[in-house]
Amino acid sequence: MTTTEHAAETAGGPPPAVAASGITKRFPGGVVANDDVHLELRAGEVHALLGENGAGKSTLSNVLTGLYRPDAGDLWIHGRLTELHSPRDAIDAGIGMVHQHFRLVAPFTVAENVVLGERSPFRRREAEERVRALGERYRLPVDPTARIWQLSVGQQQRVEILKALDRDARILILDEPTAVLTPQESEALFEVMRAMADEGRAVLFISHKLDEVLAVSDRVTVLRDARNVGTVTTADVDTRELARMMVGREVVLGRARTGRAPAPANGARPPALVLDGVGADDDRGCPALHDVTLTVAAGEVLGVCGVAGNGQRELAEVVGGIRRATAGTVTVAGERLRKADPRVAHAAGVAHVPEDRLHTGTAPSLSVEDNLALLAHRRPPLSAGPFLRRSRIRARALELMARFGVKAPGPTTPVRLLSGGNVQKVLLARELSSDPALVVAASPTRGLDVGAIESVRATILAAADAGAGVLLISEDLDEVLDLSDRVAVMYEGRIVGVVDRDEADVTELGLLMGGATLAEVGP
Amino acid sequence: MNSNLFVVIAASAIFYGTPLYFAALGEVLTERSGVLNLGVEGMMLMGAVTAASTSIHAPGPTWFALLLAVLAGMVAAGALALLHAFLVVTLRVNQVVSGLAITILAGGAGLSSYLASVWGVATGPVPHQLSSLDVLGLGDLPVLGPIVFDQNALTYLSWAALIGTSWYLFRTRRGLELRAVGESPATADAMGIDVTRSRYLHTVVGGMLAGVGGAYFTLAIVPTWTDGVTAGRGWIAIALVIFGFWRPDLTLLGAYLFGAFSSLAPTLQTRGVDVPVQLLDSLPYLTTVVVLVAVSSGWASRRVGAPAALGTAYEREDR
Amino acid sequence: MIRLERRVETPRWLDVAVPLASFVAALVVGGLVLQLTGHSALGTYERIVERALTSDGALSGTLVAATPLLFTGLAAAVAFRMNVFNIGGEGQLVLGAIAASGAGLALEGRPGWLIIGAMVVAGAAAGAAWAAIPGALRAFTGTNEIITSLMLNYVAANLATYLIFGSRSFWRSLEGSGATFPTGKRLPPEASWPSLELGGVVVPFGFLLGVAGAVVLLVVLRATRFGFAMRVVADAPAAARYAGIRGRRVVLGVMALSGAAAGIGGASNIGDTRHVLDPRGLNQAGYGYAGIVVAALARLNPVAVVFVSIVMGGLANAGRALQGPDFPAGLVGTLQGLLLVFTLGGEVFARYRIRRARTVHEAHAGAPPPPTAEVTA
Repeated sequence: MTTTEHAAETAGGPPPAVAASGITKRFPGGVVANDDVHLELRAGEVHALLGENGAGKSTLSNVLTGLYRPDAGDLWIHGRLTELHSPRDAIDAGIGMVHQHFRLVAPFTVAENVVLGERSPFRRREAEERVRALGERYRLPVDPTARIWQLSVGQQQRVEILKALDRDARILILDEPTAVLTPQESEALFEVMRAMADEGRAVLFISHKLDEVLAVSDRVTVLRDARNVGTVTTADVDTRELARMMVGREVVLGRARTGRAPAPANGARPPALVLDGVGADDDRGCPALHDVTLTVAAGEVLGVCGVAGNGQRELAEVVGGIRRATAGTVTVAGERLRKADPRVAHAAGVAHVPEDRLHTGTAPSLSVEDNLALLAHRRPPLSAGPFLRRSRIRARALELMARFGVKAPGPTTPVRLLSGGNVQKVLLARELSSDPALVVAASPTRGLDVGAIESVRATILAAADAGAGVLLISEDLDEVLDLSDRVAVMYEGRIVGVVDRDEADVTELGLLMGGATLAEVGP
Repeated sequence: MNSNLFVVIAASAIFYGTPLYFAALGEVLTERSGVLNLGVEGMMLMGAVTAASTSIHAPGPTWFALLLAVLAGMVAAGALALLHAFLVVTLRVNQVVSGLAITILAGGAGLSSYLASVWGVATGPVPHQLSSLDVLGLGDLPVLGPIVFDQNALTYLSWAALIGTSWYLFRTRRGLELRAVGESPATADAMGIDVTRSRYLHTVVGGMLAGVGGAYFTLAIVPTWTDGVTAGRGWIAIALVIFGFWRPDLTLLGAYLFGAFSSLAPTLQTRGVDVPVQLLDSLPYLTTVVVLVAVSSGWASRRVGAPAALGTAYEREDR
Repeated sequence: MIRLERRVETPRWLDVAVPLASFVAALVVGGLVLQLTGHSALGTYERIVERALTSDGALSGTLVAATPLLFTGLAAAVAFRMNVFNIGGEGQLVLGAIAASGAGLALEGRPGWLIIGAMVVAGAAAGAAWAAIPGALRAFTGTNEIITSLMLNYVAANLATYLIFGSRSFWRSLEGSGATFPTGKRLPPEASWPSLELGGVVVPFGFLLGVAGAVVLLVVLRATRFGFAMRVVADAPAAARYAGIRGRRVVLGVMALSGAAAGIGGASNIGDTRHVLDPRGLNQAGYGYAGIVVAALARLNPVAVVFVSIVMGGLANAGRALQGPDFPAGLVGTLQGLLLVFTLGGEVFARYRIRRARTVHEAHAGAPPPPTAEVTA
């Protein structure tokens, strides 16, 4: 780390905790993630960094924590010009970060994770005592001897925060911390953030959720397309104003389903999906689903919400035929799936849009046309006996790319070079091209920009309008509420409640996601 | 005579197991940092040929020549490990392919054989050999004496290495950091731990230990250089790491088990048991296959102890 | 400080330039090793070229030496492409040789074409079966195929040794000198594979078979459903699983295909060159490991394997012809190893751009004060 003493104190008080100016970061392939970005973060404030996915928020925070080195720009920490060569430098400069994808060592204990990277000799007892005391002081209770993999996501986040506090970070950066929390847990986190700021720490809160930003921050810096839009005092703006700054135009994202008649409960068509008492194990062999009973009618969107890791992935995989059900039955469009086999599920009419769209949904190094041919490649007209028919594969790819609006240099471009939105379109094109009876979509819009979100949502709703049942699994409560006809809540592998969208209440759903029962929550 | 046979097999299990243990212990350290080193066989051979040459050409009393030989073996194998580290950590070459390349480069038909010709090593038994040391004067104890107290210096050293490595891995901050690097380099990096340095360091130290294992062959077991003298023991050492769940103590047990199989052929032959020698020679390899299958299926298949980031390069700015 | 930055796309010219530069670098370092150990680098290289290419009958010898490498190279290429690391080519070749010599001996008296066909089929089947052991273990119990396939090399070597030296087996000659000194039975003359003469160069039948095999493999990879499944499994196992591709069968199939290639290499060793099962010769040759070098240098492309195998075959041919105090046994292996290491290192230039990280802050003496003015929208 190199620092230069900054001679002149700025007029009127101490220098800001962080002043970043002209930060520019380019990635290979010409992507500019930060373009001349400015940020000023003062001690004692909660400062929100607002922007869409891909606006450059995470890149900026990675620059502030020494993970990325900017191509241009300066960083002043407490008035000193500072160059961060590595995370070690950032730690030494008093910067602590709560990463969106936690930086925790799963087989280690909480205490081991907290003291990792410190320089004093390692004494287990001492470390555990210190972590316990710290947790009590900041009302972040967590057992210091527990192993990370045993903890819930919310508890893991506490460990991330404790890590920063243990090093007495004066500057605390939280990257999309509420994405994995229930509304109630988010509230508690906001209190912790306020307490930090009141102690004189500078808190940078990164989010794309307007209401959260308005609720907790003192000031907001908005990024759009890798550039600054501006910095405003939170009290001076409202949701509409912030949304306009973030997106660059007037947007109405909410209630995409309004105006659409609820799915007809007719007896003419069998339900798209019937799950009856389904149980399943996770990868470790521990039970992950218990007695799950659900019905998705044809033409209906059933949203499944819950905190990550409560069995949603296993649910999607059981329906998709990738995971074996240990109990119960799965029936798709009237046909019972007797075998956990993706081919059987697909033949019965299941289309599957997995959460990890790049590596599970597609083969990223293969071309767009090959990825579009996947599944269908097994039968005519794309193959003849053991041989593929390349010209038909090409023709089909061009047709699907046009129909689903896939933007790619050509059908032979590897999928990994496409933007997230276009990867998702390739995936949807392939899955929906077979006119499925049931679409299983897991977090279909996560990480996409607004344009892509709108188009992906429209595609999914169009499939429902065409008569497919949709099982929409998402941690994004807003998305579930926007798209679904009914909402089911999962907690620890069980369906703890199913409510109609129109009767759904965010507080209620939040409590259910946190483990309350429908009876406790009340009508 | 039964107890006598037991003593002979137990003592030679340790004798033949020791070089396997050195190599496997080195691989435990290397893999704990997330680096898979399939070059162990090549590194052992480099250690073996360098140690043999040093034993032939070094001056002085036997203890000095032997010390020099072992050190030379460590340096030669460590240099190869440094090459592996450079390829996989800095250049991010596929770890499997790099390890194979190292073994092919240094292997029985490669550099080790070439150096043996150049240095004139393959002339006969090396002059300075490791002999058993009766420490504490306990070598005459019944049963335990010949098994435990009548081994050579490197065997005693391997026991010290077991204790030292276990303490290092599970009781020190450096050990904690090493394990973090192997489990989650992104976390270690964010916590200010130098992932690259840790991986280089443990790959080189692991290679040096493989070099000690190789030196043991030409200084104690054979003790003559022949091309490919280690006969695949480097690969068995890699299997032992899996067998031992990446723990120094369990790996020692595995090494002695394989040591026992390696000693079976010479022991039974001297006793005139009529089994095809090729079958006995195949036993360590077949056992390795069986053991690997056992460890990778059933309850053990959850790979308890396998570093989560094993075999993957770490790129900070990957996206 | 130097940093590596991932290239989004590799320029075409690098595909050629990088392997060439690696080749040259390996020769330079190999020369350094030669000079340091008291040999003349240029002199040695000159003699290698002479014995591999220019002297009388050298090219024919080179093709003979290239044939087994062509097969083991194909074996490694097809498996490595799928991230199935079959390093048991050595053992699969030995099994192929055992089976092919067995077939040749058993069919004595039958027409030549039948014997030769049976030898090829037997070699392929035995190699495939031997490779299917680690393949099945990998597919069904998740056992790492690297170590198991390698362990089976030693078992195969011991098996071949046992057949000739440790037993009175069908393969062992018990007449004449064979009664006292163990050797294998000679195959009948009809079992000798034909060869083709092209402008004074003798091309062994096995080599032609290998070229045909390379073309077949290329077609399998590019134009069949199996090749498609292979590419998906190799690139994204999870995506393959979701698409209902039977990953285990693909792994097993690839291992068998790989083993079959190596096995035909063993059959060619009997039919083209030795005409007798010779465990010592097989076990010392190291065809399997050299095949990995060939495959890596060919960047796992079956057609490129053909050409690289000729280069490596030349090296091996010269090494055999020149072997002596001036040209120690390990020299060829060392040069091969260096080629491999430099090729791997060179790959990095194709995949990454080398950038010097900037150091800017020297330029910031007398830096302006940090921005404090509030920017408003």
